[in-house]
Amino acid sequence: MKVPYLLATCALSISLIGMPLQAKTPTDQLIIGMSMNNLLSLDPAGATGNDVVEVNANMYDSLVELDPADTYKILPGLAESWTVAADNRSITFKIRKGVKFHSGNPLTAEDAAWSLQRVLKLNLALASVWKSYGFSAANVEQSIRATDAETLVLTLPEPTDPKLVIYTLGTSVGAMVLDRKKVLANEKDGDMGKAWLTTNEAGSGPFALNEWRQKDVLLMSRNESYWRPQAKLKRVVLRHMTESQTLRLMLERGDIDVANGMSVPDVEAMKKNPNVGIEAVKRGNVYYVAVSAKDVKFADKRVRLAIRNLIDYDGINKTVMPNYGLYHQRPVQMGLPATLPNPGYKLDVPAARKLLTEAGFPNGFKTTIRVLSDPPFINIATSLQATLALGGIEASVIPGTGNQVYGAMRDRSFEIIVGRGGGGAEPHPHSSLRSLVYNPDNRDEAKLTNFQGWRTSFISPEINALIEKAEVEQDEKKQTAMYQEIQKLYEQQVGAIQPVSQMVDTVVLQKDIRNFHSHPASTTRWREVYKQR
Amino acid sequence: MSIFSLTGRHMRRATGFGHRLAIVAVTLMGLLALTFFIGRVMPLDPVLSIVGSDADQSTYQQVYHQLGLDKPMYMQFAYYLRDLLHGDLGRAMLTGNAVTADIARVFPATIELATIAILFGTFVGVPLGVFAATRRGRLGDQVVRVISLCGYSVPVFWFGMMGLIIFYAWLDWAGGAGRIDLAFDGLVQSRTGLLLIDAALAGEWEVFHSALKHITLPACILGLHSMAYIARMTRSFMLTQLSQEYIITARVKGLSELQVVWNHAFRNILVQLLTIVALAYGSLLEGAVLIETVFAWPGFGSYLTGGLLLGDMNAVMGCVLLIGIIFVTLNLIADALYQVFDPRTR
Repeated sequence: MKVPYLLATCALSISLIGMPLQAKTPTDQLIIGMSMNNLLSLDPAGATGNDVVEVNANMYDSLVELDPADTYKILPGLAESWTVAADNRSITFKIRKGVKFHSGNPLTAEDAAWSLQRVLKLNLALASVWKSYGFSAANVEQSIRATDAETLVLTLPEPTDPKLVIYTLGTSVGAMVLDRKKVLANEKDGDMGKAWLTTNEAGSGPFALNEWRQKDVLLMSRNESYWRPQAKLKRVVLRHMTESQTLRLMLERGDIDVANGMSVPDVEAMKKNPNVGIEAVKRGNVYYVAVSAKDVKFADKRVRLAIRNLIDYDGINKTVMPNYGLYHQRPVQMGLPATLPNPGYKLDVPAARKLLTEAGFPNGFKTTIRVLSDPPFINIATSLQATLALGGIEASVIPGTGNQVYGAMRDRSFEIIVGRGGGGAEPHPHSSLRSLVYNPDNRDEAKLTNFQGWRTSFISPEINALIEKAEVEQDEKKQTAMYQEIQKLYEQQVGAIQPVSQMVDTVVLQKDIRNFHSHPASTTRWREVYKQR
Repeated sequence: MSIFSLTGRHMRRATGFGHRLAIVAVTLMGLLALTFFIGRVMPLDPVLSIVGSDADQSTYQQVYHQLGLDKPMYMQFAYYLRDLLHGDLGRAMLTGNAVTADIARVFPATIELATIAILFGTFVGVPLGVFAATRRGRLGDQVVRVISLCGYSVPVFWFGMMGLIIFYAWLDWAGGAGRIDLAFDGLVQSRTGLLLIDAALAGEWEVFHSALKHITLPACILGLHSMAYIARMTRSFMLTQLSQEYIITARVKGLSELQVVWNHAFRNILVQLLTIVALAYGSLLEGAVLIETVFAWPGFGSYLTGGLLLGDMNAVMGCVLLIGIIFVTLNLIADALYQVFDPRTR
């Protein structure tokens, strides 16, 4: 009697647990599975990483937006219109009337000026790009000011291309407009609301933050009084998931709508699933092989050229990079009018050996490759290790976290690095060149750690001068020609950073999701997204 | 005379308690000091985690200074201890919250998971171990040994993935990742942080059902490892007891096999089992990082690992301190229970 009773109890328990609960996500909610490991702060001024950019792009509004389909197209946002002064030294924005923050406070040009000033005064992560245009904590109150409630004037402290500044306003999350009154009400010890904004928001965007439980879940609900047409979805839920297989299973079961950061094998497997769609978006960053010109070996142009000949571009792009990147060898991101066609570098071992012999290394040498331990970095490094060996260079691979690899690069204490970078959020050649090539002061004590060109100790006064000249050139044709000249010079002088592939991000989503357009600058907006069921 | 002897006993107890307290304090202090200095020499830069690798030097220096990293290491440790004595574990870089608040948020999720796991491990592992010991060398014993070996040696990560594929994706018996279906998120007010209890207290039975569906699979998989360990140890302890002379005597007296096994042999292994179960529970509370990763479980292990990978030493130190306290407390409880179950230790 006892055994059947036990079996019946077990069966009942299993059937209770097995009761189906939620087969599909609700129609009016968007459930996104993603890793929140890099979501450390919601403060737009201190945001690092693409995830926080996407979250903030939906809770805040910016003055302008870049069209995800055509990033050259600047669309009005909070600024209805803008005019650039004839001398290119100032930009005047007309701020839209009647916009309200989530708090109900009206949005004015003072809020916009204060938000931008705050980035520089706090000197947080996103101040860097503004500083590169000459803005500083000392000059920001004069250079960024509201002349009245509807007019914002940006006076450029240094000559630069105003288009570049407008692109930054459309792509940098640091340029989002904050509710000054609400932030200041939560200020502590003059921190301009920094501590409070780490876990709260003060925006005017289509969604408002309900709750954020770090590394668990982030809930947003629709802003019912949004100045644009209301978002089509009532709620957006971001759930922290780091394991790609889990994302895949939940997507297949219909428990999530969008999966970010899925591994390439899983993305490949999902391609066969008729119920999901895959969206790949090109980012401005490039995957590269960088050498330190501070190292006596790599200071020799012939050795750098030998390394360029010892990279298996075709092999890496065909076997490692699908879904991670696209074949690209120029320091300017692909697709811009100024970008030259790929030079067609190939693995050429005899040429590399000849160059090494000429440089005094007939038997090669020993070196190290620092690399992130994640794919595709580690796979590129493994390929590089093998091809360097063909040229007689014995390279040992030192895997590490991003922190360790780029930390060493910032300290200029590396020999070879396989990494990723290049800015490129703005669709402008200067954005890539400023990050990868420009090095105005090669001294160690200059500590220009935000310039990857400085990190590699490669300096070319000729290229630097041309980058500076091109940035302020008002004639578009001449400017394009200058940028092309820079790429040719970089090729001739064998720069220390050799791009291998341009970054691609892949998002996997349910087939019934409409209007989900991944943005190359990560400012993917969900206000138009809906489900066709 | 009795007053003197009573005072003497109290004195001895007080001295013993003081002695234990001193050991606990020294152990925790040693643990903290070691973690602090290891954390500081780790090749991980917490500043870069905050400012990102593209920040310029002035931003970097500003945060470096704000984190107090420009001060000598002994001074940083002294400040940490000072704040600790005021109940302040610092602010986690990982979340921007006070570490105490973070731990209070993530620890209940782990307690809930670990408690169900250890209950599963104990209530399945102990009978299996006893069963195997009483059938030594026979088929039943071999089967239990194979199960134990699998539970012990197959990576929990693999079990997790297989469990999800079979019980979640195919059979739809288990919930997916997370503690609850998102549709129910936020419906129950957190009182204890233990979702099952909170849902039951609120009378939200649908939420309770969803939480149960989500916790059963990860808890059972997590409990498998403990179950295997407990079953193996129970079998071993029982075999030792079953070969003792008093067992032969009991059998000669005509006691039933059930009485011999459970009333005589098993009672004598209880003390050892307690230690095993307590330590296994401690390990589970320490955080089941892999299971938490596979099941996107927002628990302590995941928090600690995130802190370690970012070089967030305030979070790591807070977690290490808690782990130390858990183990010390469990050991003290096990010691106290020894005295209850084994009069010789009093």
